[in-house]
Amino acid sequence: MILHQIEALKAIGVEEVVLAINYQPEVMLNFLKEFEKKLGIKITCSQETEPLGTAGPLALARDKLVDDSGEPFFVLNSDVISEYPLKQMIEFHKSHGGEASIMVTKVDEPSKYGVVVMEESTGKVEKFVEKPKLFVGNKINAGIYLLNPSVLNRIELRPTSIEKEVFPSIAAEQKLYAMVLPGFWMDIGQPKDYITGLRLYLNSLRKNSSSMLAVGSHIVGNVLVDETAKIGEGCLIGPDVAIGPGCVVESGVRLSRCTVMRGVRIKKHACISSSIIGWHSTVGQWARVENMTILGEDVHVGDEIYSNGGVVLPHKEIKSSILKPEIVM
Amino acid sequence: MESSEKVVAVIMVGGPTKGTRFRPLSFNTPKPLFPLAGQPMVHHPISACKRIPNLAQIFLIGFYEEREFALYVSSLSNELRLPVRYLKEDKPHGSAGGIYYFRDIILEDSPSYIFLLNCDVCCNFPLRDMLEAHKRYGGMGTILVNKVSAESANQFGALVADPVTNELLHYTEKPETFVSDLINCGVYVFTSEIFDYIQDVSIQREGRANLRRVSSFEALQSATRNLPTDFVRLDQDILTPLAGKKRLYTYETMEFWEQIKTPGMSLKCSALYLAQFQLTSPHLLASGNGTKSATIIGDVYIHPSAKVHPTAKIGPNVSISGNVRVAAGVRLISCIILDDVEIMENAVVINSIIGWKSSVGKWSRVQANGDYNDKLGITILGEAVIVEDEVVVTNSIVLPNKTLNLSVLEEIIL
Repeated sequence: MILHQIEALKAIGVEEVVLAINYQPEVMLNFLKEFEKKLGIKITCSQETEPLGTAGPLALARDKLVDDSGEPFFVLNSDVISEYPLKQMIEFHKSHGGEASIMVTKVDEPSKYGVVVMEESTGKVEKFVEKPKLFVGNKINAGIYLLNPSVLNRIELRPTSIEKEVFPSIAAEQKLYAMVLPGFWMDIGQPKDYITGLRLYLNSLRKNSSSMLAVGSHIVGNVLVDETAKIGEGCLIGPDVAIGPGCVVESGVRLSRCTVMRGVRIKKHACISSSIIGWHSTVGQWARVENMTILGEDVHVGDEIYSNGGVVLPHKEIKSSILKPEIVM
Repeated sequence: MESSEKVVAVIMVGGPTKGTRFRPLSFNTPKPLFPLAGQPMVHHPISACKRIPNLAQIFLIGFYEEREFALYVSSLSNELRLPVRYLKEDKPHGSAGGIYYFRDIILEDSPSYIFLLNCDVCCNFPLRDMLEAHKRYGGMGTILVNKVSAESANQFGALVADPVTNELLHYTEKPETFVSDLINCGVYVFTSEIFDYIQDVSIQREGRANLRRVSSFEALQSATRNLPTDFVRLDQDILTPLAGKKRLYTYETMEFWEQIKTPGMSLKCSALYLAQFQLTSPHLLASGNGTKSATIIGDVYIHPSAKVHPTAKIGPNVSISGNVRVAAGVRLISCIILDDVEIMENAVVINSIIGWKSSVGKWSRVQANGDYNDKLGITILGEAVIVEDEVVVTNSIVLPNKTLNLSVLEEIIL
C-alpha cells in the first residue's frame, strides 16, 4: 500500500520519505530498505513511543522536515488509496500562496465524514463540519496534504489531531486551500475497504499501465502477480487479485478478490475469495477461505479447513473450521 | 444341527407412507433400497441371512409397489442362488400381522425357524449365534438386544431380561419413564409357534369387535380397540403379554447397533458397514495412493462404473455409487455420492449426501459439521440439485431439482 505512495512521491522528485510509525517499525523498515535502493529514495523512520494523534508525529519529526530551503512538504495518510496527482498539487499550492493545501474527494454520503466547506472557485477552505446532519457540501478530507514548514509552529509535541485542531485554525486565518482529487479515492483502514480499494487500484492500473497486469488463460480480470511468485497448473486467478513476492500458489488453486502478501504458500486445490492472506501464512490443501477472512502474519490454515469471515491474529494455527465470522485470538 | 431343520428369513421393509423422516432421499427411491456402503440398505441384513445354515428362502414384506422391488429381488435371487420373494401387503398389518397375512407362503417349506428382521436397523446381524442360543433356550422366540444409554432408552422397546437364563421378563415399547437400558434391536428368531400367538391376538380382537362391548379395561386400551382386527404389532401385542412366561428369550449383541431413521444416520451407518467390510468383504473396499488411481484414506467403497480421477483424494467413510464422475483435484470426506452425480474439479464434499444426478461445480464446497443427531448436521442434496462453481453449501438440506448459485448456511431449501 505504502509503496504506491512512495513511488508517486519519487515520480515528482521527492528525495526523502519519513515514516511516522508506531507499530512494528523493524518489520516495516526491513521491508522498505530494499525499496530504498530500488527506487533511489531515502527512507527514514520517526517512531512514536506513545500515540500522538494525526498531528503530533509531525512535531516529533520536525528536524527531519525542516531544512533551510523553506520548501513545503507532503503528508500522506497511509491507509488511503487513490491516484496521486502530486504534481498538480504543488502547482495548486504555489498558485494560492496559502500556508497549507489539502486534497478533498467527493463522496456519496457526506454525513458519515468530516465535510470540508470551501469556496468552489478558489478552493479556500471556510470550515470543517464533522458528520453534518444537513447537507453542507460533499467534499471530504482525502488525507493528502502539502504543508509549508511554518505549519509545524502550530503543532506541539502532544497528541494532536491535524484534522480537528490544526487545519481549522489555519482555515480560520484563510490560509488553507483544498483541491478536488480527480479519480478514485478510498479509505482502506478497514479490510473490507481494502479489498474494494485493491479493485479500484487494479482498475486504474488497467487504464494507465496495463502491462503490469498478468495475462494468460488462467487469469480472469485484473490480476497483479509479483515476478518472484510461482503459480501452479490448473489454477484460476482473478478478478482483482494481488499476489506478493515469493508466494507459491500450488496447482488447482482458485483465487478471486483477494490479496496474498509476501511469502505466502497456497496449497493444492485451495479456494480463496474476498480475503487477505497475511505475510508468510499458509493455506492448506482443499481449504476454503472467504467472506472477508483476514489472516494476520504467519497464520497457518490446516488442510480442508473452511473459514467464513474469520479474522485471525498473527502466528495462529487454524485446525477447525470457522463457520461464521469471528475473531480468532 | 439336523439337516432337515429349514430356516426362512423375513425382512420387513415397510412402505411409502413410512420413512417420511428419510426425505428428501425417499421421494423416488424406497428407503430400503437407499445405498449404505454402496449396497442397498436391505442388502446388509440379506447378506447376513445368507450365512445362516439351511436357509431355504428370504421374503421381503412391505407395502411398496411390486415393481419397485422386482428388479432388485430378481437380481438378488441370481446373485445369492437362493429364492428371494417380495410379498406386497395390501395395507400395513403391523410386523406380526404382516407375517401372519403371508403365513401360508412363509410356512410352505415347513421351516423350523423363522428369522424376522426390521430393514432399518444397522448392525452386524449375528444370526448364526442367535440361532444357536435360541435352540439352547428352547423358547418360542429369541430377541436380539443391545445396551444403550439410559437417556436414549425410551426411544426404543425397553426390556428386562433374566441375567442368568436370558429370559425376557418385561417389555415396554417406548416407555415414558426409565424401564431398562436394554433395548429391542428389531431382529428376532421364532419357531412356527409364533403364528399361533398372532392368531390368538387376531381372534380375540375380532371377538371384541363383534361383541361391540366396551369393558372398563378396554376403555383404557382404546388405542388397541380401534385397530383393525388384522393389524397385530409384534411389540405391544406379542412381546409385552408373553414376557415372563418362559416363551421369549434375549440374545445380547456387544457390537454396533443403530436405527436408520434419518438421512444423517444413514451416513453414520454407511461408515459402520464400511468398517464391517474389513472383516466380511474386504474386496469391496477401494485402495490407491494417487499414482494410477485416487488416493484413498480409510474405508471407501467405489462402484466399478464410477470414474474417479487419480488426483482426487477420497476418504475416510466415502461411498460412491454407479456412474459417478469425480474430476481432478476433488476431495471427498465422510459422504455418500449417489448414482450419476458429477463432482467437478477441485470441489470438496464433507459430511454430506449428494443426491442422484446432482452436480457439484468447480471449487464449490458441500459440507456440514457431521453431528448425526442435529437436524442439519449432515448436508443433504436431493435428486438433480445443481451447485454452481465456487458456491459453499453448509449444514443445509436442499430439495430435489434446485440450483444453488449463492452460498447457503444452515438453511432448508424448498
